[in-house]
This record gives sequence, structure tokens and C-alpha cells, in this order.
Amino acid sequence: MSAASALPHPALWRASQLATRAGPCLGTGHGRLDAELPGGGWPAGALVELLLAEPGVGEMRLLGPALARLPGDGPIALLQPPCPPHIAAWAAWGLDPARLLWVRPGRPADALWAAEQILRHGSCAALLYWQAHARHAWLRRLHLAARASGMPFFMLRPAREADAPSPAPLRLALSPAPGGVRVALIKRRGPVCVQPFVVPLEPGRGTRPARLPHAPVDRPAPALPEPGRLAPALAG
Amino acid sequence: MFDGERAHALDAAAAGLGVRPGMRRGGVAALAPGARMAERDLAAERAALEAAARAALRFTPRVEQAGDGCTLSLDVGASLALFGGPRALGRQALAAVRALGLRARLGMAPTAAGARLLACRAGPGVRRRTLRPGTLARQLDRLSCALLPQALPHLEWLDGIGCRELGQLRRLPRAGLQRRCGPALLPALDAAYGRAAEGGAPYVPPPRFAARIELPERSDHGEAVFRQAQRLLARLCDWLDARQLAATRLAFALEHGRGRHAGPPTRLDLALSRSAWLAAHFEAPLRERLSRTVLQAPVAAVALDVRDLSARPALSAALFPDPASMREDHARLLDLLRARLGAEAVAHAAPRADHRPEIANGWHAGPPQRRPPAAAPGAERPCWLLAEPLPLAVRGDRPVHGSPLRLLRGPERIECGWWDRPWTLRDYFVAEDERAVRYWIYRERDARPVRWFLHGLFG
Repeated sequence: MSAASALPHPALWRASQLATRAGPCLGTGHGRLDAELPGGGWPAGALVELLLAEPGVGEMRLLGPALARLPGDGPIALLQPPCPPHIAAWAAWGLDPARLLWVRPGRPADALWAAEQILRHGSCAALLYWQAHARHAWLRRLHLAARASGMPFFMLRPAREADAPSPAPLRLALSPAPGGVRVALIKRRGPVCVQPFVVPLEPGRGTRPARLPHAPVDRPAPALPEPGRLAPALAG
Repeated sequence: MFDGERAHALDAAAAGLGVRPGMRRGGVAALAPGARMAERDLAAERAALEAAARAALRFTPRVEQAGDGCTLSLDVGASLALFGGPRALGRQALAAVRALGLRARLGMAPTAAGARLLACRAGPGVRRRTLRPGTLARQLDRLSCALLPQALPHLEWLDGIGCRELGQLRRLPRAGLQRRCGPALLPALDAAYGRAAEGGAPYVPPPRFAARIELPERSDHGEAVFRQAQRLLARLCDWLDARQLAATRLAFALEHGRGRHAGPPTRLDLALSRSAWLAAHFEAPLRERLSRTVLQAPVAAVALDVRDLSARPALSAALFPDPASMREDHARLLDLLRARLGAEAVAHAAPRADHRPEIANGWHAGPPQRRPPAAAPGAERPCWLLAEPLPLAVRGDRPVHGSPLRLLRGPERIECGWWDRPWTLRDYFVAEDERAVRYWIYRERDARPVRWFLHGLFG
């Protein structure tokens, strides 16, 4: 009898295990990241926070495969993105550009209202929402709306918000790394992930151009468990 | 409320001071010095009764307006099972009238005239509903003769012979009664007791909708204006229901009153992307539009006109949500977002066939356009395109954005046609800075010295 079968409730997990997720999950398309996330992918119907060192660190290339394999043909709402979205890039990912919905509210209060309306109507396939500052109560409200709708909901916020408390069950800090993006799991339902790891974003291509006179020095380091903690194993 | 010189209607406080209907202005002013006297507005009363008649059409197709101008009769015999019995139907009918901002008293009886008489019975806790003809006759027998409009001219004579209740009136010899009181009284009495057939022309809604409602007092408060607009919407939806239509565009006019200083009315056009006929589908966008509108002056009245009408599509009664209903939902969401954020704030992709990225990357407020983008297949494109290319500094022949940029891939040459303006000759590169953030930069080929621009982020 395994340890997991002794804990039959899906809301319970051991400190050394990743939680099993009862709801649907969306594969990230990056094997390294899937292995570290509870449920093996982006959770649908929950607030997922991506904390960016700056816009453009590779967050969209990280999300791209998941967005391209969203079920159905519902629109993907981009709420208050930092720059105009480039249609050609989305088409190159295999996404129908007609599915994109770009919403530019004038004020932060309008943006929050729009996010809540989009979640409440539930007619979009996913919502990506850029917001610099958000109060805890707002986040909680959005998280509850996302839970009711079951829609994948990503909130992209600056990295300085990493220390602020948040009701999101999954929080990732993203920073640039050669050939990919460095992901630090700030919060997940599972063991603490101390070591940031690099998710390669360019499969098949070298992480450095061949013109460099030296061999690449920094290789993606495995997420070593902290001394005294067990390596994460999937529960169930 | 005065009809000419005589008091017509009054509230409970005035009645407590001794004011009675039919008193003159001077008498009322003496009894109740602080009373607010208003002139009766017959046109408004007619409009209100018509609105109530339209609302009643949802319960039965047979709605009649009585001659006295304040009573509606509904033949609900065939609708009882659908609405869950007489009690539930009565509750729903009262709620429908209340949604219009009106008040009604409900009587229910096997005959229309009997129900009308029962409804006229004033006072709390009085029985106004009966379903059996025997009970109806017993109830009617106890009513005052004054409630029957046809008996009003002969009230003094009837009072003189000690005939105060309808039961006593009914027992008088019919031939003598007909001779003294004319031919109208007896048929009315018989109709109330169910001894003679009743008949009248059913109400037919007008072919065109236009409604106007005055605010109780001028207000520049959006919520007060919205409440009146809500009543107009309730009327509109009743009319749409009665004619089985759906509306796409509504035109509201917020009137700022009459007089020299009043400005022109504020126009508020509410355009929906899908035709709708439920009040809730109009209300949410209207609330957002009103909260966004800045009122120049207090609003005195709200008028509503319908622009685009269409036949109502047939509804499919599926158990599970189907793609069509999802699209409906999405259209409603877009309407709501446009109402609050403005039409230009909600954009769909409209790619144009052009090699220049800033031209090809077209967005517009209309519905999405399915046209293949002109980008070369396999070309690496950034996820974000800056609205304006950002000039980069050059240090030691290398472009600098925070730190010196290293060119990873390129050049990809993009040029405009000789007929195009502005002149565009660019070599695009994928570049990376020292922290390995990817950028899409270009060099202007025809510029000396070399100029570099940042045009996109790889995100």
C-alpha cells in the first residue's frame, strides 16, 4: 500500500509530494515545467501568476504551446498587454489570429472590471491579464471568478510583487536565461522548489550561436532538493 | 391630484386630514394647508395603462381596456396551468405592473365585470379573489352600488329607496328598474353575475414603439436616470414580446427640460451586436454607458426609440450549452465591454497583406477578419510589436538597449514597394542583450550614419 493511497482525499498531500489536481489541467508543452507543476500542467479555473522581471523575458513563448492547444475555438482575451500584439507571431504558433481579442481599458479599475466580466461570461477560451499593481482583495475576487468559470486565467505582474501575499495557488517568477527562461516556483501546492530552473524555449537550436569563441558555461541546473527535503514525487 | 377644479385622487395622509374626492381646491387648501396639488395628466394615465396592457399580454392574448380608463381585464382561463395556478399568476401579474413603476389592485372572478367590481373593493384584508360563481354572487351582493359605474347617475334615488348594496339592487323588479334607470344598468349587472355574455375588443399593441417617461424631479444622478430607463426597457420588452420581435439598436434621448436655458437632449445610442429581447440584455450595457456619460445638465425626462427591429429567432431548447449559445454569450460580453470601455478599446485582428510589420499588424474594432497574414512562413516574429519603433543608441558599432545587443539571426530584408510611402528599407535582426532578453531590431539601410531601432519584443 503506497503512501498516497493512505490519503484518499484529493485536497490532502504530503509535504514531499506534489498535489493531485481534481480539475482539468492544460499541458504546458515544456516537459521540464510539467514535471514541477501539480497536475502536470497549467491549472484551469485558478489564478496563475507569472511575475516578470520585465515585459518580454519569454513569458509568451512559455505560454504559447499551451495557448495553441486550448480546447475549442473560443477567443483568447489579452487584457491590457504592454505592447500591441503581433498577429504574425500568433499565427506562427498555429493559433488562428481571429481568436485574439485585444482589450485596452483606460484605467486600472476598468481593467479589473473587464477581467471580472470576461471570467463571469466564460465565453473566452483563456484570459491573459497584465496588471502592475493589484490589491489582495482584487486578486482574491478574480481568483474566485476564475474558479467559478473554469477558464485558464494568467495574470502577468512585475517581479517586485513577488513578496506580496497572493491567493493564487500557482506563482512563477520568470527571468531571462540564455536559450530559454529561468523559472522560480514561488508558490505551488507541493514541496518548496528552492532552485530556479531553466525551461528551454528553442528546441533544436543551440542555446548560443556557434560564433562564440568558447563553449557554453552555464547549463540548466536541475532543481536540487533542499537538504532535509525529499525530492518531489507525484502523489497518487 | 385635481381634475379641473375637483379633487380626483389623494393619498392616505390627505384622507386622514379629511380631504375627500370631489372637493374643491379652496376646501382642500383649508383642510390640508401643506398639501401638494397636482393637475391630472390624462395622456400620462393613458400611456401608463397602455404599458400595463402590454405587460399583461404576456399572460394571455385576451386583454381588454375598460371604458373607465383605469382598469384592465385579462381572460386567463387558458393560462392558469402554464403559470402555476391562479395565485401564482396573480403574483406575477402584480410584479409585472410593479416593474413599470405602477401600482395595481387585483380582483379575480369567473366574470370580467365581477373581477373588476371586486378589484374596486378598497381596504386591507378584503377578499378580492374567488373562483366559484356561487361565492362571487355572495361577495357581489355585499358590495356598494356606487362601485357600478352605470348606477352612479341614479345613486341618490337608489339611496332614497334604501337600496345600497348590489344584492338589493338585483332583487328589485327588472322591468321597473329598466324603465327608471335606462338600458345600461341591467346588462352591466347581469354581466357581473355571469348571466349575460361579456365581450369587448381585445387590446392590440401598436405597430411602432416610442415611449417617454418623466423623472419625478430633475436629476443629474446616473442611477436615478438608469431607473427610469429601466422602466422604459420593461415597456419595450413587453412590446417586443407581444409582437415577437427583437431589437438591435436603441436610441435614448435624455431631455434636459423645456425653456430657454435647457440645452438639446443628450443622445445615447445603444447598439448591440446581436438582436435581443430580454431586459437584462439591454440593461447591463446601458448601465455602463450611462456611468460613462457625462451629463451636461440635470435630466428631466427620458425618451426611448427603437431603430433596428428584426423577427425573433427561434430558440433551441438544448440541455447542454451549444456553440451557438456560446457565441451569443460572447457577443453579449463584447457589447458590455464596448459600452464601458468604448468601441475602440475592444479590438480584433485584421491582418493586412503587406510586408511591413507595422502595416500588416492591423487591429480594428469590428468583427475578426479571416485573412492569412503576409509574413513569410518560418520567419521568426516577435510576440509584441512596439507602437513606435524605439531609436537605439550605438556604441562601438553595436546597438545598445540597456546593454550592448548581440545579433543572433539575420538579416531579414524587408522593403516597401517603390509606390509606397513612407520609404522603408530595413534589415531586421533577432538580438539578445547581456541578460539574454530577445529583441527584434532593425537597421535602416539608406541612412548614414547607421541608425538602429527596436521594433519588437519576443515575450
